[in-house]
Amino acid sequence: MRHLHPALLTAISLVIGLALWELAAHDVQRVVFAPPSAVLARLATDTASGVLPLALLGSLRHLALGFALSVIVAVPLGFAVGRSEKAAAMANPVLNAFYAIPPVALIPFILIWFGLFFEGRVALVFLMSFFEILVTVAAGARNVDPSLLSVGRSFGASRLRLVTHVMLPASLPFVFAALRVGLVRAINAMITAELFLAAVNLGEMMKHAALRFDMAGMLAVIFLLCLLGLAAQEGLKGLETRILPWYVRR
Amino acid sequence: MRTRLFYNFLGITLALAVWEALGRAIGEENFAPPSVVLPEYIDLLRDGQMLRELANSLLQMLVGYGLACFVGLPIGIAMGRSRLGDALLHPWLSMFVVTSVAALVPLFVLVFGTGFAFRAAIVFVASVWYVMLTIYQGARGVEPRFIDVGRSFGASRWSRLRCILLPALYPYVITAMRIGLVHAIRAMVVAEMFVIVGYGGLIYRSGLSVSTAPLLALLVTLMVVGVIANALLRGGAKIVAPWYEERVASVGSPQT
Repeated sequence: MRHLHPALLTAISLVIGLALWELAAHDVQRVVFAPPSAVLARLATDTASGVLPLALLGSLRHLALGFALSVIVAVPLGFAVGRSEKAAAMANPVLNAFYAIPPVALIPFILIWFGLFFEGRVALVFLMSFFEILVTVAAGARNVDPSLLSVGRSFGASRLRLVTHVMLPASLPFVFAALRVGLVRAINAMITAELFLAAVNLGEMMKHAALRFDMAGMLAVIFLLCLLGLAAQEGLKGLETRILPWYVRR
Repeated sequence: MRTRLFYNFLGITLALAVWEALGRAIGEENFAPPSVVLPEYIDLLRDGQMLRELANSLLQMLVGYGLACFVGLPIGIAMGRSRLGDALLHPWLSMFVVTSVAALVPLFVLVFGTGFAFRAAIVFVASVWYVMLTIYQGARGVEPRFIDVGRSFGASRWSRLRCILLPALYPYVITAMRIGLVHAIRAMVVAEMFVIVGYGGLIYRSGLSVSTAPLLALLVTLMVVGVIANALLRGGAKIVAPWYEERVASVGSPQT
Protein backbone atom coordinates (compact mmCIF):
# COMPACT_ATOMS: atom_id res chain seq x y z
CA MET A 1 0.00 0.00 0.00
CA ARG A 2 2.97 2.24 0.74
CA HIS A 3 4.09 2.23 -2.87
CA LEU A 4 0.82 3.25 -4.43
CA HIS A 5 0.50 6.62 -6.09
CA PRO A 6 -0.96 9.31 -3.75
CA ALA A 7 -3.71 10.18 -6.26
CA LEU A 8 -4.77 6.53 -6.30
CA LEU A 9 -4.80 6.47 -2.50
CA THR A 10 -6.95 9.60 -2.50
CA ALA A 11 -9.41 7.95 -4.84
CA ILE A 12 -9.45 4.81 -2.71
CA SER A 13 -10.05 6.87 0.41
CA LEU A 14 -12.96 8.76 -1.19
CA VAL A 15 -14.55 5.54 -2.42
CA ILE A 16 -14.22 3.87 0.99
CA GLY A 17 -15.64 6.93 2.74
CA LEU A 18 -18.63 7.16 0.42
CA ALA A 19 -19.27 3.42 0.69
CA LEU A 20 -19.26 3.61 4.50
CA TRP A 21 -21.66 6.55 4.37
CA GLU A 22 -23.96 4.68 1.98
CA LEU A 23 -23.99 1.60 4.21
CA ALA A 24 -24.57 3.65 7.37
CA ALA A 25 -27.40 5.58 5.76
CA HIS A 26 -29.10 2.37 4.66
CA ASP A 27 -28.85 0.95 8.14
CA VAL A 28 -30.54 3.82 9.95
CA GLN A 29 -33.77 5.42 8.88
CA ARG A 30 -33.67 7.28 5.59
CA VAL A 31 -35.29 10.31 7.20
CA VAL A 32 -32.36 10.82 9.53
CA PHE A 33 -29.56 10.50 7.06
CA ALA A 34 -29.59 10.46 3.29
CA PRO A 35 -27.12 8.17 1.49
CA PRO A 36 -24.70 9.71 -1.04
CA SER A 37 -26.57 8.09 -3.92
CA ALA A 38 -29.72 10.02 -2.97
CA VAL A 39 -27.74 13.25 -2.59
CA LEU A 40 -26.15 12.81 -6.02
CA ALA A 41 -29.51 12.01 -7.57
CA ARG A 42 -30.97 15.16 -6.01
CA LEU A 43 -28.01 17.19 -7.21
CA ALA A 44 -28.57 15.91 -10.74
CA THR A 45 -32.33 16.60 -10.82
CA ASP A 46 -31.97 20.06 -9.28
CA THR A 47 -29.23 20.95 -11.74
CA ALA A 48 -31.22 19.65 -14.69
CA SER A 49 -34.32 21.59 -13.65
CA GLY A 50 -32.23 24.76 -13.39
CA VAL A 51 -33.22 25.53 -9.78
CA LEU A 52 -29.78 24.96 -8.32
CA PRO A 53 -27.72 26.85 -10.95
CA LEU A 54 -30.10 29.82 -10.73
CA ALA A 55 -29.87 29.93 -6.94
CA LEU A 56 -26.10 29.66 -7.15
CA LEU A 57 -25.94 32.54 -9.63
CA GLY A 58 -28.02 34.68 -7.30
CA SER A 59 -25.73 33.86 -4.40
CA LEU A 60 -22.60 34.60 -6.43
CA ARG A 61 -23.75 38.19 -6.99
CA HIS A 62 -23.38 39.31 -3.40
CA LEU A 63 -20.33 37.09 -2.96
CA ALA A 64 -18.54 38.84 -5.83
CA LEU A 65 -19.43 42.38 -4.82
CA GLY A 66 -18.68 41.90 -1.12
CA PHE A 67 -15.38 40.14 -1.76
CA ALA A 68 -14.23 42.71 -4.32
CA LEU A 69 -14.95 45.57 -1.91
CA SER A 70 -13.15 43.78 0.86
CA VAL A 71 -10.04 43.18 -1.28
CA ILE A 72 -9.96 46.80 -2.47
CA VAL A 73 -10.05 48.12 1.09
CA ALA A 74 -8.16 45.46 3.04
CA VAL A 75 -5.06 44.94 0.83
CA PRO A 76 -3.78 48.58 0.86
CA LEU A 77 -4.69 48.87 4.53
CA GLY A 78 -2.79 45.68 5.24
CA PHE A 79 0.31 47.08 3.56
CA ALA A 80 0.06 50.29 5.57
CA VAL A 81 -0.29 48.42 8.85
CA GLY A 82 2.46 45.95 7.97
CA ARG A 83 5.04 48.46 6.78
CA SER A 84 4.74 51.14 9.42
CA GLU A 85 5.76 50.32 13.00
CA LYS A 86 3.66 53.19 14.31
CA ALA A 87 0.57 52.24 12.35
CA ALA A 88 0.98 48.64 13.48
CA ALA A 89 1.34 49.61 17.13
CA MET A 90 -1.75 51.78 16.87
CA ALA A 91 -3.89 49.37 14.90
CA ASN A 92 -3.00 46.06 16.52
CA PRO A 93 -4.92 46.30 19.80
CA VAL A 94 -8.01 47.57 17.99
CA LEU A 95 -7.74 44.92 15.25
CA ASN A 96 -7.22 42.13 17.79
CA ALA A 97 -10.28 43.26 19.69
CA PHE A 98 -12.39 43.35 16.53
CA TYR A 99 -11.04 40.01 15.39
CA ALA A 100 -12.22 38.43 18.64
CA ILE A 101 -15.86 39.29 17.88
CA PRO A 102 -17.58 36.60 15.80
CA PRO A 103 -18.85 38.39 12.68
CA VAL A 104 -22.22 36.66 12.93
CA ALA A 105 -22.79 38.53 16.19
CA LEU A 106 -22.72 41.75 14.15
CA ILE A 107 -25.78 40.69 12.15
CA PRO A 108 -28.13 42.84 14.26
CA PHE A 109 -26.09 45.87 13.17
CA ILE A 110 -26.19 44.80 9.56
CA LEU A 111 -29.97 44.61 9.86
CA ILE A 112 -30.14 48.14 11.26
CA TRP A 113 -27.76 49.70 8.77
CA PHE A 114 -28.21 47.75 5.56
CA GLY A 115 -31.50 45.90 5.88
CA LEU A 116 -32.48 42.33 5.18
CA PHE A 117 -31.69 42.18 1.49
CA PHE A 118 -28.90 42.52 -1.05
CA GLU A 119 -27.02 45.35 0.73
CA GLY A 120 -27.10 43.43 4.00
CA ARG A 121 -25.72 40.30 2.36
CA VAL A 122 -22.92 42.26 0.68
CA ALA A 123 -22.08 43.85 4.04
CA LEU A 124 -21.78 40.50 5.78
CA VAL A 125 -19.54 39.10 3.04
CA PHE A 126 -17.37 42.20 3.30
CA LEU A 127 -17.18 42.02 7.09
CA MET A 128 -16.34 38.33 7.26
CA SER A 129 -13.53 38.41 4.70
CA PHE A 130 -12.11 41.86 5.51
CA PHE A 131 -10.20 41.09 8.71
CA GLU A 132 -8.89 37.78 7.44
CA ILE A 133 -7.35 39.52 4.40
CA LEU A 134 -6.07 42.49 6.40
CA VAL A 135 -4.28 40.35 8.99
CA THR A 136 -2.61 38.10 6.41
CA VAL A 137 -1.48 40.93 4.12
CA ALA A 138 -0.08 42.83 7.11
CA ALA A 139 1.91 39.78 8.19
CA GLY A 140 3.28 39.44 4.66
CA ALA A 141 4.25 43.08 4.35
CA ARG A 142 6.00 42.91 7.72
CA ASN A 143 7.98 39.82 6.73
CA VAL A 144 9.53 41.19 3.53
CA ASP A 145 13.21 40.28 3.73
CA PRO A 146 15.03 43.50 4.78
CA SER A 147 18.12 42.53 2.76
CA LEU A 148 16.05 42.73 -0.43
CA LEU A 149 15.11 46.30 0.42
CA SER A 150 18.72 47.14 1.28
CA VAL A 151 19.93 45.87 -2.08
CA GLY A 152 17.38 48.04 -3.83
CA ARG A 153 18.39 51.02 -1.75
CA SER A 154 22.10 50.56 -2.42
CA PHE A 155 21.40 50.48 -6.14
CA GLY A 156 19.73 53.85 -5.77
CA ALA A 157 16.09 52.84 -6.22
CA SER A 158 13.63 55.58 -5.36
CA ARG A 159 11.02 55.00 -2.66
CA LEU A 160 8.29 54.44 -5.21
CA ARG A 161 10.42 52.03 -7.22
CA LEU A 162 11.29 50.21 -4.02
CA VAL A 163 7.60 49.70 -3.34
CA THR A 164 6.58 48.65 -6.84
CA HIS A 165 9.65 46.60 -7.76
CA VAL A 166 10.76 45.03 -4.48
CA MET A 167 8.15 45.11 -1.79
CA LEU A 168 5.11 44.31 -3.87
CA PRO A 169 6.56 41.24 -5.61
CA ALA A 170 8.12 40.04 -2.34
CA SER A 171 4.80 40.11 -0.53
CA LEU A 172 2.66 38.74 -3.38
CA PRO A 173 2.68 35.19 -1.98
CA PHE A 174 1.06 36.56 1.16
CA VAL A 175 -1.45 38.51 -0.86
CA PHE A 176 -2.41 35.26 -2.56
CA ALA A 177 -2.65 33.47 0.77
CA ALA A 178 -4.86 36.31 1.98
CA LEU A 179 -7.10 36.05 -1.08
CA ARG A 180 -7.47 32.30 -0.61
CA VAL A 181 -8.39 32.53 3.07
CA GLY A 182 -10.57 35.56 2.39
CA LEU A 183 -12.47 33.93 -0.45
CA VAL A 184 -13.26 30.81 1.57
CA ARG A 185 -14.52 33.04 4.40
CA ALA A 186 -16.53 35.06 1.88
CA ILE A 187 -18.24 31.90 0.63
CA ASN A 188 -19.09 31.03 4.22
CA ALA A 189 -20.48 34.54 4.65
CA MET A 190 -22.50 34.19 1.45
CA ILE A 191 -24.54 31.28 2.79
CA THR A 192 -24.58 32.64 6.36
CA ALA A 193 -26.20 35.84 5.08
CA GLU A 194 -28.85 33.88 3.19
CA LEU A 195 -29.72 31.85 6.26
CA PHE A 196 -29.67 34.65 8.85
CA LEU A 197 -31.05 37.58 6.82
CA ALA A 198 -33.90 37.18 4.32
CA ALA A 199 -33.84 33.57 3.06
CA VAL A 200 -33.09 33.67 -0.67
CA ASN A 201 -31.23 31.59 -3.27
CA LEU A 202 -29.29 28.68 -1.76
CA GLY A 203 -30.27 29.66 1.79
CA GLU A 204 -33.94 29.51 0.83
CA MET A 205 -33.45 26.06 -0.69
CA MET A 206 -31.85 24.87 2.54
CA LYS A 207 -34.59 26.29 4.74
CA HIS A 208 -37.31 24.75 2.58
CA ALA A 209 -35.53 21.41 2.66
CA ALA A 210 -35.24 21.66 6.44
CA LEU A 211 -38.97 22.32 6.80
CA ARG A 212 -39.73 19.20 4.76
CA PHE A 213 -37.15 17.09 6.66
CA ASP A 214 -35.51 16.63 3.28
CA MET A 215 -31.97 15.52 4.18
CA ALA A 216 -30.94 14.87 0.59
CA GLY A 217 -31.93 18.38 -0.46
CA MET A 218 -29.91 19.96 2.35
CA LEU A 219 -26.87 17.80 1.76
CA ALA A 220 -27.01 18.62 -1.96
CA VAL A 221 -26.70 22.34 -1.19
CA ILE A 222 -23.93 21.73 1.36
CA PHE A 223 -22.08 19.58 -1.17
CA LEU A 224 -22.37 22.32 -3.79
CA LEU A 225 -20.99 24.89 -1.33
CA CYS A 226 -18.14 22.56 -0.49
CA LEU A 227 -17.32 22.19 -4.20
CA LEU A 228 -17.46 25.96 -4.61
CA GLY A 229 -15.01 26.43 -1.74
CA LEU A 230 -12.63 23.82 -3.11
CA ALA A 231 -12.82 25.30 -6.61
CA ALA A 232 -12.08 28.79 -5.28
CA GLN A 233 -9.11 27.57 -3.29
CA GLU A 234 -7.62 25.39 -6.02
CA GLY A 235 -8.28 28.06 -8.66
CA LEU A 236 -6.34 30.65 -6.71
CA LYS A 237 -3.55 28.15 -6.07
CA GLY A 238 -3.33 27.48 -9.81
CA LEU A 239 -3.28 31.18 -10.55
CA GLU A 240 -0.54 31.63 -7.98
CA THR A 241 1.75 29.04 -9.56
CA ARG A 242 1.22 30.68 -12.96
CA ILE A 243 1.84 34.23 -11.80
CA LEU A 244 4.53 33.44 -9.24
CA PRO A 245 6.46 30.51 -10.69
CA TRP A 246 9.53 31.55 -8.68
CA TYR A 247 7.76 31.10 -5.41
CA VAL A 248 7.66 27.49 -4.25
CA ARG A 249 5.14 26.90 -1.53
CA ARG A 250 6.12 24.33 1.06
CA MET B 1 9.10 49.38 24.03
CA ARG B 2 7.73 52.43 25.79
CA THR B 3 6.99 54.17 22.50
CA ARG B 4 5.16 51.10 21.29
CA LEU B 5 2.99 51.09 24.37
CA PHE B 6 2.34 54.77 23.77
CA TYR B 7 1.15 54.05 20.23
CA ASN B 8 -0.95 51.11 21.43
CA PHE B 9 -2.62 53.43 23.87
CA LEU B 10 -3.00 56.15 21.25
CA GLY B 11 -4.65 53.67 18.86
CA ILE B 12 -7.18 52.54 21.46
CA THR B 13 -7.95 56.11 22.48
CA LEU B 14 -8.44 57.15 18.86
CA ALA B 15 -10.74 54.21 18.20
CA LEU B 16 -12.83 55.06 21.27
CA ALA B 17 -12.97 58.73 20.24
CA VAL B 18 -14.13 57.84 16.73
CA TRP B 19 -16.72 55.47 18.20
CA GLU B 20 -17.99 58.19 20.56
CA ALA B 21 -18.17 60.82 17.80
CA LEU B 22 -19.84 58.44 15.37
CA GLY B 23 -22.28 57.25 18.02
CA ARG B 24 -23.31 60.80 18.88
CA ALA B 25 -23.64 61.74 15.23
CA ILE B 26 -25.91 58.87 14.12
CA GLY B 27 -27.72 58.28 17.38
CA GLU B 28 -28.13 55.60 19.99
CA GLU B 29 -30.61 53.61 17.91
CA ASN B 30 -27.98 53.17 15.18
CA PHE B 31 -24.72 52.94 17.08
CA ALA B 32 -24.55 53.69 20.79
CA PRO B 33 -21.46 55.67 21.87
CA PRO B 34 -19.24 54.30 24.68
CA SER B 35 -20.60 56.87 27.14
CA VAL B 36 -24.03 55.23 26.77
CA VAL B 37 -22.75 51.65 26.58
CA LEU B 38 -20.73 51.86 29.81
CA PRO B 39 -23.65 52.46 32.23
CA GLU B 40 -25.69 49.87 30.33
CA TYR B 41 -22.80 47.46 30.72
CA ILE B 42 -22.65 47.97 34.48
CA ASP B 43 -26.40 47.35 34.65
CA LEU B 44 -26.04 44.11 32.71
CA LEU B 45 -23.21 42.98 34.99
CA ARG B 46 -25.34 43.71 38.09
CA ASP B 47 -28.36 41.97 36.62
CA GLY B 48 -26.30 38.80 36.21
CA GLN B 49 -28.25 37.25 33.33
CA MET B 50 -25.52 38.08 30.83
CA LEU B 51 -22.79 36.34 32.82
CA ARG B 52 -25.01 33.35 33.64
CA GLU B 53 -25.84 32.79 29.98
CA LEU B 54 -22.21 33.32 29.03
CA ALA B 55 -20.94 30.78 31.55
CA ASN B 56 -23.54 28.26 30.45
CA SER B 57 -22.77 28.74 26.75
CA LEU B 58 -19.02 28.61 27.26
CA LEU B 59 -19.33 25.39 29.25
CA GLN B 60 -21.24 23.74 26.42
CA MET B 61 -18.75 25.09 23.91
CA LEU B 62 -15.82 23.73 25.91
CA VAL B 63 -17.20 20.20 25.59
CA GLY B 64 -17.26 20.41 21.79
CA TYR B 65 -13.95 22.23 21.63
CA GLY B 66 -12.21 19.83 24.04
CA LEU B 67 -13.42 16.91 21.98
CA ALA B 68 -12.17 18.60 18.81
CA CYS B 69 -8.68 19.00 20.29
CA PHE B 70 -8.72 15.46 21.65
CA VAL B 71 -9.57 14.01 18.24
CA GLY B 72 -7.94 16.56 15.95
CA LEU B 73 -4.45 16.71 17.43
CA PRO B 74 -3.50 12.99 17.19
CA ILE B 75 -5.04 12.61 13.74
CA GLY B 76 -3.31 15.77 12.51
CA ILE B 77 0.07 14.55 13.80
CA ALA B 78 -0.46 11.14 12.22
CA MET B 79 -1.30 12.81 8.90
CA GLY B 80 1.76 15.00 9.05
CA ARG B 81 4.12 12.14 9.82
CA SER B 82 2.77 9.33 7.66
CA ARG B 83 2.50 9.54 3.90
CA LEU B 84 -0.27 6.96 3.89
CA GLY B 85 -2.30 8.86 6.48
CA ASP B 86 -1.80 12.06 4.53
CA ALA B 87 -2.98 10.56 1.23
CA LEU B 88 -6.00 8.88 2.84
CA LEU B 89 -7.22 11.73 5.03
CA HIS B 90 -6.12 14.93 3.33
CA PRO B 91 -8.88 15.02 0.69
CA TRP B 92 -11.49 14.78 3.44
CA LEU B 93 -9.77 17.42 5.51
CA SER B 94 -9.56 19.93 2.68
CA MET B 95 -13.21 19.28 1.83
CA PHE B 96 -14.51 19.74 5.36
CA VAL B 97 -12.35 22.73 6.20
CA VAL B 98 -13.95 24.85 3.46
CA THR B 99 -17.50 23.81 4.39
CA SER B 100 -19.47 26.64 5.93
CA VAL B 101 -20.57 26.06 9.52
CA ALA B 102 -23.71 28.11 9.02
CA ALA B 103 -24.80 25.77 6.22
CA LEU B 104 -24.49 22.81 8.58
CA VAL B 105 -26.63 24.40 11.29
CA PRO B 106 -30.09 23.62 9.77
CA LEU B 107 -28.94 20.04 9.12
CA PHE B 108 -27.69 19.59 12.67
CA VAL B 109 -30.93 20.98 14.10
CA LEU B 110 -32.76 18.17 12.29
CA VAL B 111 -30.38 15.52 13.57
CA PHE B 112 -29.64 16.70 17.13
CA GLY B 113 -32.51 19.02 18.04
CA THR B 114 -31.64 22.33 19.67
CA GLY B 115 -30.18 21.20 22.98
CA PHE B 116 -26.75 20.55 24.34
CA ALA B 117 -25.85 17.86 21.78
CA PHE B 118 -26.57 20.22 18.90
CA ARG B 119 -24.38 23.03 20.21
CA ALA B 120 -21.50 20.76 21.19
CA ALA B 121 -21.67 19.02 17.80
CA ILE B 122 -21.60 22.28 15.84
CA VAL B 123 -18.65 23.56 17.86
CA PHE B 124 -16.89 20.24 17.32
CA VAL B 125 -17.23 20.20 13.53
CA ALA B 126 -16.38 23.88 13.30
CA SER B 127 -13.07 23.58 15.14
CA VAL B 128 -11.80 20.03 14.63
CA TRP B 129 -10.67 20.56 11.01
CA TYR B 130 -8.75 23.72 11.85
CA VAL B 131 -7.03 22.02 14.78
CA MET B 132 -6.12 19.11 12.52
CA LEU B 133 -4.89 21.29 9.66
CA THR B 134 -2.67 23.46 11.86
CA ILE B 135 -0.99 20.61 13.71
CA TYR B 136 -0.62 18.76 10.38
CA GLN B 137 1.34 21.68 8.94
CA GLY B 138 3.47 21.79 12.09
CA ALA B 139 4.14 18.05 12.07
CA ARG B 140 5.19 18.16 8.41
CA GLY B 141 7.65 20.97 9.09
CA VAL B 142 9.60 19.26 11.88
CA GLU B 143 13.31 19.36 10.99
CA PRO B 144 14.22 15.95 9.49
CA ARG B 145 17.69 16.39 11.00
CA PHE B 146 16.31 16.12 14.53
CA ILE B 147 14.66 12.83 13.71
CA ASP B 148 17.80 11.59 11.92
CA VAL B 149 19.97 12.32 14.96
CA GLY B 150 17.60 10.27 17.09
CA ARG B 151 17.71 7.47 14.56
CA SER B 152 21.52 7.41 14.38
CA PHE B 153 21.70 7.16 18.14
CA GLY B 154 19.45 4.13 17.94
CA ALA B 155 16.31 5.65 19.46
CA SER B 156 13.26 3.44 18.98
CA ARG B 157 10.25 4.66 17.06
CA TRP B 158 8.38 5.28 20.29
CA SER B 159 11.15 7.26 21.97
CA ARG B 160 11.70 9.31 18.79
CA LEU B 161 8.02 10.22 18.98
CA ARG B 162 8.07 10.98 22.71
CA CYS B 163 11.44 12.73 23.04
CA ILE B 164 11.87 14.50 19.69
CA LEU B 165 8.66 14.86 17.74
CA LEU B 166 6.28 15.84 20.53
CA PRO B 167 8.53 18.50 22.10
CA ALA B 168 9.10 19.97 18.64
CA LEU B 169 5.34 20.12 18.21
CA TYR B 170 4.39 21.85 21.49
CA PRO B 171 4.20 25.33 19.97
CA TYR B 172 2.04 24.05 17.12
CA VAL B 173 -0.26 22.32 19.58
CA ILE B 174 -0.85 25.67 21.24
CA THR B 175 -1.31 27.43 17.89
CA ALA B 176 -3.72 24.74 16.72
CA MET B 177 -5.69 25.09 19.93
CA ARG B 178 -5.78 28.87 19.55
CA ILE B 179 -7.04 28.77 15.98
CA GLY B 180 -9.53 26.07 16.97
CA LEU B 181 -10.80 28.21 19.82
CA VAL B 182 -11.47 31.18 17.54
CA HIS B 183 -13.60 28.95 15.34
CA ALA B 184 -15.25 27.30 18.34
CA ILE B 185 -16.42 30.65 19.74
CA ARG B 186 -17.67 31.74 16.32
CA ALA B 187 -19.55 28.47 15.89
CA MET B 188 -21.10 28.78 19.33
CA VAL B 189 -22.52 32.19 18.42
CA VAL B 190 -23.71 31.01 14.99
CA ALA B 191 -25.50 28.00 16.46
CA GLU B 192 -27.09 29.92 19.33
CA MET B 193 -28.21 32.81 17.17
CA PHE B 194 -29.86 30.45 14.72
CA VAL B 195 -32.03 28.70 17.31
CA ILE B 196 -32.13 31.73 19.67
CA VAL B 197 -30.84 30.16 22.88
CA GLY B 198 -28.02 30.92 25.30
CA TYR B 199 -25.67 33.84 24.80
CA GLY B 200 -26.20 34.00 21.05
CA GLY B 201 -29.94 34.11 21.66
CA LEU B 202 -29.37 37.01 24.04
CA ILE B 203 -27.48 38.84 21.28
CA TYR B 204 -30.27 38.15 18.82
CA ARG B 205 -33.00 39.38 21.17
CA SER B 206 -31.13 42.51 22.20
CA GLY B 207 -30.71 43.28 18.50
CA LEU B 208 -34.46 43.80 18.40
CA SER B 209 -34.50 46.51 21.09
CA VAL B 210 -34.59 50.20 20.22
CA SER B 211 -31.20 51.13 21.64
CA THR B 212 -28.05 49.39 20.42
CA ALA B 213 -26.36 49.86 23.81
CA PRO B 214 -27.24 46.40 25.26
CA LEU B 215 -26.18 44.77 22.00
CA LEU B 216 -22.82 46.52 22.07
CA ALA B 217 -22.38 45.60 25.72
CA LEU B 218 -22.89 41.92 24.86
CA LEU B 219 -20.37 42.18 22.01
CA VAL B 220 -17.81 43.79 24.31
CA THR B 221 -18.12 40.84 26.69
CA LEU B 222 -17.62 38.42 23.82
CA MET B 223 -14.55 40.37 22.77
CA VAL B 224 -13.13 40.24 26.29
CA VAL B 225 -13.69 36.47 26.38
CA GLY B 226 -11.83 36.05 23.09
CA VAL B 227 -8.91 38.21 24.15
CA ILE B 228 -8.58 36.50 27.55
CA ALA B 229 -8.72 33.00 26.03
CA ASN B 230 -6.08 33.97 23.50
CA ALA B 231 -3.83 35.42 26.19
CA LEU B 232 -4.22 32.28 28.32
CA LEU B 233 -3.17 30.03 25.45
CA ARG B 234 -0.27 32.32 24.57
CA GLY B 235 0.81 32.28 28.22
CA GLY B 236 0.57 28.49 28.16
CA ALA B 237 2.84 28.43 25.11
CA LYS B 238 5.46 30.49 26.92
CA ILE B 239 5.48 28.03 29.82
CA VAL B 240 5.61 24.73 27.92
CA ALA B 241 7.89 25.81 25.07
CA PRO B 242 9.64 29.11 25.77
CA TRP B 243 12.26 28.35 23.11
CA TYR B 244 9.76 28.51 20.30
CA GLU B 245 8.11 31.86 20.79
CA GLU B 246 9.20 33.15 17.40
CA ARG B 247 7.90 30.13 15.55
CA VAL B 248 4.53 30.43 17.22
CA ALA B 249 4.25 34.03 16.17
CA SER B 250 4.98 33.21 12.56
CA VAL B 251 2.50 30.37 12.22
CA GLY B 252 -0.18 32.44 13.94
CA SER B 253 -1.16 34.02 10.64
CA PRO B 254 -4.17 32.25 9.20
CA GLN B 255 -3.12 30.26 6.18
CA THR B 256 -5.11 27.37 4.87
